[in-house]
Amino acid sequence: MSGRARVRARGMARSPSAAEAGRTSAPPLPPSVDIGNNEASSTGGFVGTSRMSQKCKYSLSSGNARCTFIERGGKIRRDFMDLAVCIREKLAHVRDCKRGSSGVPVKLVTNLFRLDLPQDWRLYQYHVAYAPDLESRRLRIALLYSHRELSNKAKAFDGVILFLSQKLEQKVTELSGETPRGETVKITVTLTRELPASSPVCTQVFNIIFRKILKKLAMYQIGRNFYKPSEPVEIPRHKLSLWPGFAISVSQFESSLLFTADVSYKILRNETVLEFMTSIHQETDISCFTQTCEKQLLGLIVLTRYNNKTYRIDDIDWSVKPTHTFQKRDGTEITYVDYYKQQYDITLSDLNQPVLVSLLKSKRNDNTEARVAHLIPELCFLTGLTRQATSDFQLMKAVAEETRLSPLGRQQCLARLADDIQRNKDARFELETWGLHFGCQMSLTGRVLPSEKILMQDHVCQPVSAAEWSKDMRNCKILSARSLTKWLIVCSHRDENVTEDFLHCLRRVGSAMGFNVDYPKIIKVQENPAAFLSVLQKHVDPHVQLVMCILPSNQKSYYDCIKKYLSSVWPVPSQCVLARTLTRQGIMMSTATKIAMQMACKLGGELWAVEIPLKSLMVVGIDVCKDEFSKGMVVVGFVASINPGITRWFSRCILQRTTTDVADCLKVFMTGALNRWYKQNHALPARIIVYRDGVGDGQLKTLIEYEVPQLLSSVTEASSNTSTKLSVIVVRKKCLLRFFTELNRSVQNPPLGTVVDSEATRPEWYDFYLISQTASRGTVTPTHYNVIYDDNGLKPDHMQRLTFKLCHVYYNWPGLISIPAPCQYAHKLTFLVAQSIHKEPSLELANSLFYL
Amino acid sequence: MEENKEIADLGYGDATLLWMLKYHRCVECLVGVDIAAQPFEWGGGRLSPGVGGFIIPRELDLTITLYRGSVVQKDSRLRGFDLITCIELIEHLDSEDLAKFPEVVFGYFSPGMVVISTPNSEFNPLFPASTFRNPDHRFEWDRKQFQTWALDVGKLYSYSVEFTGVGDPPAGAEHVGYCTQIGVFQKNIAKATGSSISEPEEHVYEVVSILREAATRVYRTSYPSLQQRKYFRFTLSIEAVKAIDLMKSRFLRGLRKKEGDRVVPLGSCTPQHGLTEAQRAEIEQSPKPYSVGENFYVPLERLIIYPKVNHLVAGNVEKLRTVLAEGLRLNQDQTAVRVELVDYNTQRLFDEHLVSPALES
Repeated sequence: MSGRARVRARGMARSPSAAEAGRTSAPPLPPSVDIGNNEASSTGGFVGTSRMSQKCKYSLSSGNARCTFIERGGKIRRDFMDLAVCIREKLAHVRDCKRGSSGVPVKLVTNLFRLDLPQDWRLYQYHVAYAPDLESRRLRIALLYSHRELSNKAKAFDGVILFLSQKLEQKVTELSGETPRGETVKITVTLTRELPASSPVCTQVFNIIFRKILKKLAMYQIGRNFYKPSEPVEIPRHKLSLWPGFAISVSQFESSLLFTADVSYKILRNETVLEFMTSIHQETDISCFTQTCEKQLLGLIVLTRYNNKTYRIDDIDWSVKPTHTFQKRDGTEITYVDYYKQQYDITLSDLNQPVLVSLLKSKRNDNTEARVAHLIPELCFLTGLTRQATSDFQLMKAVAEETRLSPLGRQQCLARLADDIQRNKDARFELETWGLHFGCQMSLTGRVLPSEKILMQDHVCQPVSAAEWSKDMRNCKILSARSLTKWLIVCSHRDENVTEDFLHCLRRVGSAMGFNVDYPKIIKVQENPAAFLSVLQKHVDPHVQLVMCILPSNQKSYYDCIKKYLSSVWPVPSQCVLARTLTRQGIMMSTATKIAMQMACKLGGELWAVEIPLKSLMVVGIDVCKDEFSKGMVVVGFVASINPGITRWFSRCILQRTTTDVADCLKVFMTGALNRWYKQNHALPARIIVYRDGVGDGQLKTLIEYEVPQLLSSVTEASSNTSTKLSVIVVRKKCLLRFFTELNRSVQNPPLGTVVDSEATRPEWYDFYLISQTASRGTVTPTHYNVIYDDNGLKPDHMQRLTFKLCHVYYNWPGLISIPAPCQYAHKLTFLVAQSIHKEPSLELANSLFYL
Repeated sequence: MEENKEIADLGYGDATLLWMLKYHRCVECLVGVDIAAQPFEWGGGRLSPGVGGFIIPRELDLTITLYRGSVVQKDSRLRGFDLITCIELIEHLDSEDLAKFPEVVFGYFSPGMVVISTPNSEFNPLFPASTFRNPDHRFEWDRKQFQTWALDVGKLYSYSVEFTGVGDPPAGAEHVGYCTQIGVFQKNIAKATGSSISEPEEHVYEVVSILREAATRVYRTSYPSLQQRKYFRFTLSIEAVKAIDLMKSRFLRGLRKKEGDRVVPLGSCTPQHGLTEAQRAEIEQSPKPYSVGENFYVPLERLIIYPKVNHLVAGNVEKLRTVLAEGLRLNQDQTAVRVELVDYNTQRLFDEHLVSPALES
């Protein structure tokens, strides 16, 4: 199948309506189509409004209160959809107050800014009709804007709906205009409704206004964020530049309308796709060149230098060359070489390069053919980082050094942005005409939760720092461990000596922590993945408890083939160690300790615990992650605690199509976990709390409508006599919000265990923020918790403290982590499956943390 | 086109012509004047440098400025351009403005070249409606009318005129000529410098006395370019790193031997792509890259042969040295660029088995 045919095939799979496209054999889209008619959209279209879709028109006429404004590219801003999901009103115990009480109050500075409006502020929404009707949006706008009635007013207009902050004199205003072709057009502007500032529609209009303002501050919109290209951070030795900028949002918080801004960096690579391909060509065997190119490039976002648009590479068509012709919109044929010379004065240097193929998103969901764009690799720049780049430690370090801003650095950027907004003449004018006042940065009061004790086998320790207690744990015995008597080590001939040294160390630290490690069988092999695999096939028998592989390099194929074999074909816990980490002398002991702990867990051991006041509580973590290879597949991970001490876990994982409901398998998993709990404890848990991670914007409603019922039905079926109570909490690691504590006129990250449950939260939700991790460098991101279902009726304070406790029991790290341990386990599991195994791991491993 | 550095478009409308012109490498200054220019209504989106403009800076500076104003008002900021274009403009001028137009554009602005296009009324019968093509048109000339006007103007201000057009008539109607007729006016330099008497002098006289700024500026943007130090430095560093990376990967994959504290390649480390035979030969003659410990060194003398690097510094090693010293690391005697010698795939430093197995036996 040719590249083009493949793209069509994919296009068809995605939308059945595009099925015709393949057969009618649409000519490859001339690049001009994207250059001529919507070039301006690359920088956000005309200034004035964002686009609204046709849908908008209908939802309006039907009087739908949630008019959906459509963002650039025709996407609904999905985070706004989530805000419309009112959860709190259904939860009686938090309807009046969702605040906790324990802990020490702490004053926090936020990255929120007040936006003040006059008391009686209203947004006036008008419908604008043209007779005769005009197709061109540009023309519609030009005609309307030329009228004096509107010229000095604050306005946002998309060609159909007009928003004004001042009411027009009449409910229906008749205007007329003349097109360049001399046609007289009657324009009827009709008031459709008046909206209070708290209306979701207003929120979206405010977002449009601020996007406009940031553009006026000489920032460029890339994706959803705004960047300043004039002040780049340049890292020439890695061929990168970083553009500083902001992610912004305006929305209704607990008690008021607030503007949020967080510093963001855009990574731009000063490398064309052609140059990238050339380097692949040099480094790989010619026989797998095309394959490697596709593996590295497909799915990446490229930026075309001539028209500043971004495209996703969906395919590479090796049969098309720049000397081939395509059909321009006027029907004439031209070669790519001539086209770029004539249109952009660009001379292509390599006439043998293939073309990149990008499927264009159809703006409307109608039955139009899926269109593709052909792009010349030499003119396309890579954005973001390739996998090759992310595995480059030096590069990532360089990027992190620049982007990991300290709280103070971040605070200074915010202050500058606020200052720019207030000082810039155009920005101020825009705000004033809308009646908006940009206020000061907001402070609020949070609480620091009391610290937790860590329970070991015969010792209770109060860590010096909850961030990391490995030192406090030294010489303490772990809760329980099975001894390791029959196991294997596979290593390359070259790594034999380091392996022996390491083994010695491992056995010593093992016995100190109460984990008995016997001497294994060591097998030496050639340095290639196939050799490792064949050894496993030969030597792993049913008596082997664990296999350790000392990997000669971090080539992914070693890890992948070992994990694949030992997780699904022949299920045995496995431990991979990179030989290079064992050569670093100074840290041998701590490496061995860490690996010994992981191995103990993989054999079903328990390391430590925290006090759990609830006597019969099961906690569950769910995460969803995309499969790396097969597009359209997602991996769902489910990890549930199976003892009251929350030290033992039951882990399940499945691959499924994205098109099926978010997590279809939850009922099966939940029932499995309940059975396991019953076997262990001879009763069902009294309470279940589910932490759900991996939720995208706009999925909240789906979660409530599909996932919660699945979990509930499993629980009610299992507990016909007793009544097991369920709560579901959505966990989000990414949020725009930041908190700082002020200290000596500087700002710092807040202390561990800081909870925020007022002002920065949402009125519609039962939500809170918790900071449970330290950021040694950079600014800490709070984790957002949103309780979407709650039968348990725990007090908010208890819910917060329980969540904090659960952040202590992730066995891969002797310290606090940013999310509850079950979520992190589920994440680790899905990541392993999505990246390496691509198959469901064997059920035999479900009772151990084999994926650590 | 190649020599036009400063171009003004009178009556730029939706700025399509300006947008097309901005891609030409030789252009350094673009000016648009339109009576109906709207500030911020379209934000200059098409005319701003865009993200790509920052990643690949232009070779030459470019500023784009838009003014709101009449094309028949004298404005000193438009004087002495290389080219002024008036696309479908003159037919919108009333007789009074049309009378002033030559004096302002040819006499006062006095550019090297003027391109004027206007509808050819002989073509109109081929359209369904037989009136003017746009109700705002004050007149539509046939070829004779336009050419007479143009030749008179040319004679008066010493421009030579050539006529052309766009929009071929359909078969059978060839006699009507192009849909749109175009006059290309070339300033007659010999005449202007030789005996500069009569009309133009008065105008020049008038200008010197006052600086006229009749139009209001509504938009201005400057493009990043290699003329600006920071963009030049970054672009050169990037091109050098690209060349070095290619050499490094060949070095790591080829055979090597030890020479004192240096490890040198047995091959030449010349990339397979993007070079002519001559360039390849020249590279092979130049000093080879080498490694010492965990560092890889590329002599500047080799680096400068790479076409893109060479083009940027115009073959000047001294310039290459000074600029790279700011963005990258050089060796002690400043003759070579130093980078880390790590391989992506294994992350192992190659000093572990620097001497290739083939050479040990």
